[in-house]
Amino acid sequence: MGIAGLPKKEANVLRGHEGAVLAARFNGDGNYCLSCGKDRTIRLWNPHRGIHIKTYKSHGREVRDVHVAPDNSKLCSCGGDRQLFYWDVSTGRVIRKFRGHDSEVNAVKFNEYASVVVSAGYDRSLRAWDCRSHSTEPIQIIDTFSDSVMSVCLTKSEIIAGSVDGTVRTFDIRIGRELSDDLGQPVNCISMSNDANCILASCLDSTLRLLDRSTGELLQEYKGHTCKSYKMDCCLTNTDAHVTSGSEDGFIFFWDLVDASVVSSFRAHASVVTSVSYHPKDDCMITASVDGTIRVWKT
Amino acid sequence: MDADEEDYVFYGTPIEREEEMTSRKKKAVAESSGLLRSLPPWKQEVTDEEGRRRFHGAFTGGFSAGFYNTVGSKEGWAPQSFTSSRKNRAEVKKQSIFSFLDDDEKARAGKFWMQGVVVEMWDMLVLVVMIEMPTKEMLFGSKSLAKNMEKMMGGSIPMRLAFQVGNAQRVRFWRDKWCRDETLWGGRTLLFSRAFIDWELDSVECFLHKIQAIRVHRDVDDRVIWTALRCGNFSVKSLYSILEPKDSPLFPSSSISRSCVLPKEMEGHSLGTSLQFDTFGFTAAELARKQAEKEQQQRPSAIPGPLPDEIVLLATESIGVKLLLKMGWRRGNSIKDSHTNSLYDARREARKAFLALSSDDVSTDLAVSEGVKSDLQNAIELPANDDLKSSESTPVSIFPCYDPFKHAPEFREKKRLRMSGKKELGLKNDLFAFKSRKVAPGFGIGALEELDVEDEDVYASGYDFEDNYVQEVEEPSGLVIESKQKLGSKEKGVLSGFKVASKLDYQLERFDPPVVPKNFVPHHKFRAPLDDSNKHDARCGKLFEDLSREKNQSNPLFSFLTGGNGCDYYARKLWEERQRHNDKSKQLLDVKSSPTVQKMTAESRGKILGERPLERSSRDTNSSVASADVIQLQFNLSDTFTKPASLKELSEIAKPFKEDPAKQERFELFLKEKYHGGLRSTDSGGASNMSEAARAREKLDFEAAAETIEKGLRGKESNLSTQQFMEMSATAVMEFAPGGLEQAKVTQAEELVIKKMYPKREEFQWRPSPILCKRFDIIDPFMGKPPPAPRRRSKMDSLVFTSDSVKSTTVDETVTSKLPVAQLDPQQFSKDVNAREIEVNVEVEKVERPVDLYKVFFLPSTRVPLAYEFASAYLLLFKHILMAIFSDDSDDEVENSTSNQVDDPKRKIEAANTTLNRLMAGDFLESLGKELGLEVPPDMPQSINKARTSAPKKESNDVNPGNISSLAVENKPSSTYTALKGTSVNQEAPHDKAYDQESTQEVRSQNNELMLDSPSGSKIKVTGSSENESSKIKAEKMDQEGRKAKTPTGHRQNWSSDSSSEDERSRKRSRRRRHRSDSSDTDISSDHQDRYHSRSKGRKKGSSREKSSSSRRYSKHHKRGSRDSPSRSSRHSSERERSESKREKRR
Repeated sequence: MGIAGLPKKEANVLRGHEGAVLAARFNGDGNYCLSCGKDRTIRLWNPHRGIHIKTYKSHGREVRDVHVAPDNSKLCSCGGDRQLFYWDVSTGRVIRKFRGHDSEVNAVKFNEYASVVVSAGYDRSLRAWDCRSHSTEPIQIIDTFSDSVMSVCLTKSEIIAGSVDGTVRTFDIRIGRELSDDLGQPVNCISMSNDANCILASCLDSTLRLLDRSTGELLQEYKGHTCKSYKMDCCLTNTDAHVTSGSEDGFIFFWDLVDASVVSSFRAHASVVTSVSYHPKDDCMITASVDGTIRVWKT
Repeated sequence: MDADEEDYVFYGTPIEREEEMTSRKKKAVAESSGLLRSLPPWKQEVTDEEGRRRFHGAFTGGFSAGFYNTVGSKEGWAPQSFTSSRKNRAEVKKQSIFSFLDDDEKARAGKFWMQGVVVEMWDMLVLVVMIEMPTKEMLFGSKSLAKNMEKMMGGSIPMRLAFQVGNAQRVRFWRDKWCRDETLWGGRTLLFSRAFIDWELDSVECFLHKIQAIRVHRDVDDRVIWTALRCGNFSVKSLYSILEPKDSPLFPSSSISRSCVLPKEMEGHSLGTSLQFDTFGFTAAELARKQAEKEQQQRPSAIPGPLPDEIVLLATESIGVKLLLKMGWRRGNSIKDSHTNSLYDARREARKAFLALSSDDVSTDLAVSEGVKSDLQNAIELPANDDLKSSESTPVSIFPCYDPFKHAPEFREKKRLRMSGKKELGLKNDLFAFKSRKVAPGFGIGALEELDVEDEDVYASGYDFEDNYVQEVEEPSGLVIESKQKLGSKEKGVLSGFKVASKLDYQLERFDPPVVPKNFVPHHKFRAPLDDSNKHDARCGKLFEDLSREKNQSNPLFSFLTGGNGCDYYARKLWEERQRHNDKSKQLLDVKSSPTVQKMTAESRGKILGERPLERSSRDTNSSVASADVIQLQFNLSDTFTKPASLKELSEIAKPFKEDPAKQERFELFLKEKYHGGLRSTDSGGASNMSEAARAREKLDFEAAAETIEKGLRGKESNLSTQQFMEMSATAVMEFAPGGLEQAKVTQAEELVIKKMYPKREEFQWRPSPILCKRFDIIDPFMGKPPPAPRRRSKMDSLVFTSDSVKSTTVDETVTSKLPVAQLDPQQFSKDVNAREIEVNVEVEKVERPVDLYKVFFLPSTRVPLAYEFASAYLLLFKHILMAIFSDDSDDEVENSTSNQVDDPKRKIEAANTTLNRLMAGDFLESLGKELGLEVPPDMPQSINKARTSAPKKESNDVNPGNISSLAVENKPSSTYTALKGTSVNQEAPHDKAYDQESTQEVRSQNNELMLDSPSGSKIKVTGSSENESSKIKAEKMDQEGRKAKTPTGHRQNWSSDSSSEDERSRKRSRRRRHRSDSSDTDISSDHQDRYHSRSKGRKKGSSREKSSSSRRYSKHHKRGSRDSPSRSSRHSSERERSESKREKRR
């Protein structure tokens, strides 16, 4: 995929959030997207048609992250009210609330089977919650972090989380090991490459770092954007050819994965781009911004 | 959404929505709490817990409460029929075997429904009916029949009577009124009250067959025959023969478990259980036994020999017997299965005569055949309750080889004769089935006296059950078993009248339970300290391990210590640990040949003499561990300790950053992280206040330094590496001395390296919770093993740092002492301040993380007393000293707090050792000062003695005063230490113990001292003094150490420009140094011995020691070219004297 394949054309603008949109996520197949924001709502969209489908309200404070189960039947979300909400997508009802984080919850993810929700909190802990049982107690608390955990990624057997303490920690459930990759810089967001071999970590020194997961080696650094104080997302394109991230000045940056050159950057939003999410298959991207809009980008 | 919902089909009850529930509840709560209270009572509403209104006004539906507005409950309104418990009370249901048969079986058993009354017609009963009875009108039910028969026969007389149908004149079967004055015979046909149902037809047929099978012989009268004899005539003799075995008083037949040999008459009709039905647990028992054997083979148990269940065998009945009993079977009764068999027999016979019945006039035509006889027999047999036959047929044999004639041999012969007389030997080949093949091995057990013995045999011998059975069977039958080899021999014995039981060759000897030695402790003790130490414990030493084991005996988490779960893992960890630090250990070993080892082994002697010891694997491990310990010590110390302290500590091994204590500390941290990934440093950055760049640069530095250190260690296989390292460090020192400036230059260059520093990967163990694994569909990597013990908090920390109270007093001293230092070296001073601050911090922290120090101290304990170990121990001690210096105060406090606890002499000794170590520190400082080439004022005012500026002194030039002071100060703490019995001491104890191992002799002597002193209560003093001496010795040693330690400071620079030539040089030097150390060791050991022999000679010894030390020093100076040697010796002596005097005072 060349540069031309990058989604730079604005296809839709999803408006509806009142206030900053903190996260926007494609669902598993990329047909829908979810967004959440400071207005304490989660919204379900069809980004391709630009339709707002549903609003999920229950959160008492801003919603910082949302994730949808692979089968699209459940949602989990988290936010400033220190709890995780486990939603039924179709009815829009909260199935369960997971309380236990001592402070705001920054990120949340389902595991592969949607049986566990893993949340990363400002309280320096990762917590895993059981969706299958009715227990609302975390089934595991990982508190080896020394600072706020900003982001979490799950693989089939691992929990990967990035923290402001500068570490990206990989918790391998299979072998019971914790790998800590100290990046030396607060990690804002981590996202895994689609081949699951690398981790892209967005650090607060305005640098994206690409780590080899197996060795912990620093493969590449991507600079040019601004990321110093906001929780911002980064991701790789669906082909892993490019790295993309928002910037605090409203720009979106695309880097070449290999040579780390800025392939493209353009102003997408009026304000901080808080979240980027790339379509799992197509060249399509959604970005969310503090300006309250979600924009859909296509080639 | 509604449209959506319509598309779904919902099953089950929906989960109640949380919101709804909560809202209602909320309302309820709110109303109950706040709202309603404010309302006047008449406005208040009564609601249930769900918030629903319960009581309405009369016009709004009245109240709704209780069960539909009643005061009752749901149960209360359910109609119930009254049943008086009076009548129903204690109604025991009589059970027969039929109540356990299903319909099919019942049908087969010939259960007819006639006239609404159930007449259970066993096929044999049909025949029984025909028996001429004194009471003709008696009803035929099995029980009543039995009773009648019993009555008739006089109760206990065996039922050997049968009714032989002759001309059927006395048979009134058809004319008897079975029920309601109706007979079965209605003229020409049988009367049945109703048509038969399909499933009954079979039974009816059987019934008819039975009847028809009976032939009528007109010439023969009906008669009762005696079945015991063929002719049918009763004879007393036969009766006697029947009764005999049974009536023998020796055989309480009711309680004896019977062999299943049946008298010939019984064969075929009484059913034992056969092996194939596992009802009685034989197979299960066998299986269990085999399983147990297998298990035992697999796991060597603490108790050798047979398993407990083999030793102890329950004498109770098998479950089968119990079941039967429950079902109504009684001992002595046989279990009958006769209906089927007899049925078939009857069928066979009746088939021939079937036509006859139908054609003949019934009343006259009841044909009686000879075959009936057997049937009759059957019929009689059934009811037999307590008689011989039935008891003989008792389904019994748990112990098959039971010899019923054991105690009554005279009967055996009789029985044999009887058996033989009957000529029923046709069974020769078929042991189990005499005639009918129904005789099965017995089951259950009797409660016989010999039972237990023989029971054991059955299980323990592994004898095949069948064999046993065969033997048992053969015995009564007497002749049977020619065909069987095994039996043959037995048979002879039986025949000749020998007691069979005594001759059983498979008789098992009884296994007494193993005798537990009195000194046996129910948990495993590890013999060698090295053998098993956990990774964690490995570092801390055996004593610690033991301690922890004791402490955590009940804690399953620590089961690995006692060989339980996780033991293997533990061992492996230990191994890893050793491997990791193998090279280092070697180095250490060489550097310090154990000088103070009191136990003179060949090795140690060789060491002293400069012989090169043979490498032994065990030693290797020891050394490695020790070294590991050393490193660990540093790290741990660095965690909790002040910067200057750490700096000093590290100086022994690798102090590349001597200039900057903080940095050094960070370096240690770094090392720690590097070598002990599992232990997480508390602050990741090491220096949080540093800039990112600086940190990165530093990291690079560290990396390099660590590398060099490692290199040095590795190159040191020939025991030279330390020297090399020292050399390198020495050269480096030169370059690095103006550290601050240099660093500034370097920064830029190093900036580039930052990137390389990051990302930095570390690996830790992490335990996913089992349920997490489950949810992730992953097998739990720890397989449910208990999580490792939480990082243990050492009480060492508390020991060292508990001293807040004392601190206040000591701080002043330290300040004063430090002041001069500060003047000399402002930088140093600042550091000191820093250090103190840190110290304070540490104290605060101690509660949170007491771990590491503790570990550190016990590291050496695990190791065997080897020379190099000793060296390493010194390193540890040195650290300890440093700590002590900082924490003298704490000791006092500890003493106060813990004085009430009881301590054993050993503990005290250990404490003494620690104090010794502290004393050593003084010398070390001295030496450092020398090394630095600073002028040491020959005489320092006594006032300074109290000062505790260990760290500053070390760095600074006024070494001498520092030394003195430290020594003086040390004395106190040492004494306190001895007094300490509390936890702190305990923790220290292991360490010291380990130390003791190395120099057992010394320890012993100390022990003696302690013991002597303890009763008087002045132990503290004594120990203190002894420690002083020893400490001095050590201090001398420490000099060397100090030098060595010092060298590394410069070393760091070396790595950058390390040259092979330098390496060589260093190697050489190390060799030399080793030599030196050896000599020093000898000195020390000799000193020790002296001291032990006679304490009173202390002074003399002291002088000699001084000499030796001074001489050593001289030599050192030689090489080093330092100047202060002469003054030193004198100072030494004075110092010693002082300590001695102190001792005196205390006394």
